[in-house]
Amino acid sequence: MKRPRLLGLVLKNLVSKPATIQYPRVKTPVELDFRGVQYADLGKCTGCSLCAIECPADAIKMTPIPPEYEVPKTNPRRIYPLINYGKCVFCYRCVKVCPTNAYIATNKYDIAGVSRLTSEAFSLTTLRRVGS
Amino acid sequence: MMGVVDKHSLLESFSVGRGVVKPSRKLYIVEPGNVRRVFEALIEKFGYGGFYLSTIVGTDLKDEGRIRLDYYIVLLPEEETVVLRTFIPRENPVIDSLVDILPGALSGECETHDLLGVVFRGNPFLKRGFFAPRDLVEKGEYPLRKDSGV
Amino acid sequence: MGVTKIVEISVVTAEIPVGPQHPALHEPLLLKVYAEGEEVVKVEVNTGYNHRGIERLCERNTFYRDIFIVGRVCGICNAVHTNCYVRALEQLLDLHPNRRAQYLRVLAMELERVHSHMLINAVMAEIVGFETLFMQIMLDREKVMKAKEILTGSRVMADYVMVGGVRRDIDEEKRQRIRELLLKLGPRIEYYRKVFEEDETIVKRLVGVGRISYGEATSHSLVGPVARGSGVKIDSRVSDKYDAYGEIPFNLVTRSEGDSWARMMVRWDEALESIEMSIYILEHLPSDGDPVPDERRLPRRFPPGEAYTRVEAQRGELTYYVMSDGKGQNPYRVKIRTPSFNNIINSAFMYIGHSLADVPVILASLDPCISCMERVTVIDLEKNTRYRLDLKQLAGGKP
Repeated sequence: MKRPRLLGLVLKNLVSKPATIQYPRVKTPVELDFRGVQYADLGKCTGCSLCAIECPADAIKMTPIPPEYEVPKTNPRRIYPLINYGKCVFCYRCVKVCPTNAYIATNKYDIAGVSRLTSEAFSLTTLRRVGS
Repeated sequence: MMGVVDKHSLLESFSVGRGVVKPSRKLYIVEPGNVRRVFEALIEKFGYGGFYLSTIVGTDLKDEGRIRLDYYIVLLPEEETVVLRTFIPRENPVIDSLVDILPGALSGECETHDLLGVVFRGNPFLKRGFFAPRDLVEKGEYPLRKDSGV
Repeated sequence: MGVTKIVEISVVTAEIPVGPQHPALHEPLLLKVYAEGEEVVKVEVNTGYNHRGIERLCERNTFYRDIFIVGRVCGICNAVHTNCYVRALEQLLDLHPNRRAQYLRVLAMELERVHSHMLINAVMAEIVGFETLFMQIMLDREKVMKAKEILTGSRVMADYVMVGGVRRDIDEEKRQRIRELLLKLGPRIEYYRKVFEEDETIVKRLVGVGRISYGEATSHSLVGPVARGSGVKIDSRVSDKYDAYGEIPFNLVTRSEGDSWARMMVRWDEALESIEMSIYILEHLPSDGDPVPDERRLPRRFPPGEAYTRVEAQRGELTYYVMSDGKGQNPYRVKIRTPSFNNIINSAFMYIGHSLADVPVILASLDPCISCMERVTVIDLEKNTRYRLDLKQLAGGKP
């Protein structure tokens, strides 16, 4: 009977640090260009809807920008792409097809929660409120 | 040892038309009644080790009123893919089964029957609901037909 | 009290549902196993639990949206699916990506092959009851997942291949990091291969189980490592020489034993080949231009035509048939034939004659797996009556 070959490895693992990560107390390390949440920079977005047409998961819905925001003149229809991250497959097709390069790509991946389910909060921070 | 040329000339002898599927796969159009005979001849001449049936592609050509069946065969050991194409009427899509001479046809025939409604005469394993969900089966619809409404 | 009931196993054919749910693996599938005592006499494969109608979905979406839809057919082999579909589109458009893009595509696919082969070998170790080995292989698999993240931007869903090239390039720093990860991974895989070769537990459970001959493999249309384990020399990488496979040196791995063990060893050897290929690619990466096409300027109209492409996925030959009728933006027909489609449905004959405990081993050696039995229906063939026992009662022996 041969001695199990894994014995040494097992003993080494017993005394070494655990390989698992205590998420969410410790963040998983990801690359800088990891495909995380993306949202439109409304200063550049023209409301052309191309991203909504091309989205393979139908996760993008063109939505009116609330009246309290100042919208650039290049966006006459005052609409912006609202991404539903629950539906989004993070293929970055929208980022790549955007004619004005309006999308901001991040490496954020912790989108569990109520406020971060859509790109509304991310996108609207790129605009100034009227009068501010 | 018979080469790939013999296999092509065998397929040629049955074909009523030629063509090419990109990238340069040779295509032989045969009569639907001859499909089984082609496979019988292939098995008889080259044995089971001489080729394998890769897949059966059924396409609903609604405007032409017929269903197109493509048998993709990989010739071994050269590993060259050739296509055997046949057309059957859309109203009465029946063709001889291969499953008793070539067990590898089972998966393709079951799928094509379930999704496109082609009846493979002599295949005892055909059944609806192999892939299609129950509600479609109850309605008697074949999801890959162009007018199925799926 | 006395004995009130005797169950004579020998006259009973038990119908045992293996599946459709299993906590360890992804494919919901039901194997209806008919067993006399411990011996399997017949197996029926039941499918349809997870049919998502991708082919129909592709017909209803545009050519470009389909690129991402077909990537979701299977998570483990998404890069090969996308590659196969995109190459079919490139055939229709008569478009050729540059060499750098071709090399990067091969790199993504080979990294995927390494992690897929490591996964199924780990699962096999778990199924035979060797959970330590499972954990160890999965731990080292993280290295190749990280390499894939560096290359494609995501650990699993690569979405890397695009008509005319790839979707992101690598720079010198990334090239070095991937190379270092692979250099560390190589010796680990060699070590696990040795464990699979020598360890008593594994050898006893796998050798001689589920043996298939050359003729059976071809007549049942079995593909990939399953066929190569039986000595069938099929590999689309060698015969079709798609992308950069014509320029990168590698060996076609086959074994002659034809049993479950041979299939697993083919996978380890292929993983080693893949690592060598990946390192070769990283060291010989051509720089003949930008591999990333501008997705805004790709052709919108597809000429009528049909294309049939094959790739060697991790599980075997994967084929896509794409037909364009030249009208509109959607393909007329997309037919996907995955390797598991042939390997699982056509392989019911392999189980016959083996014991019940070998069923999961044979199934895992085909590279899917499904659940252990959860409840038994006993059919009394003589009286033609049927009653159900749950597992506890059966184990306790008092129905």
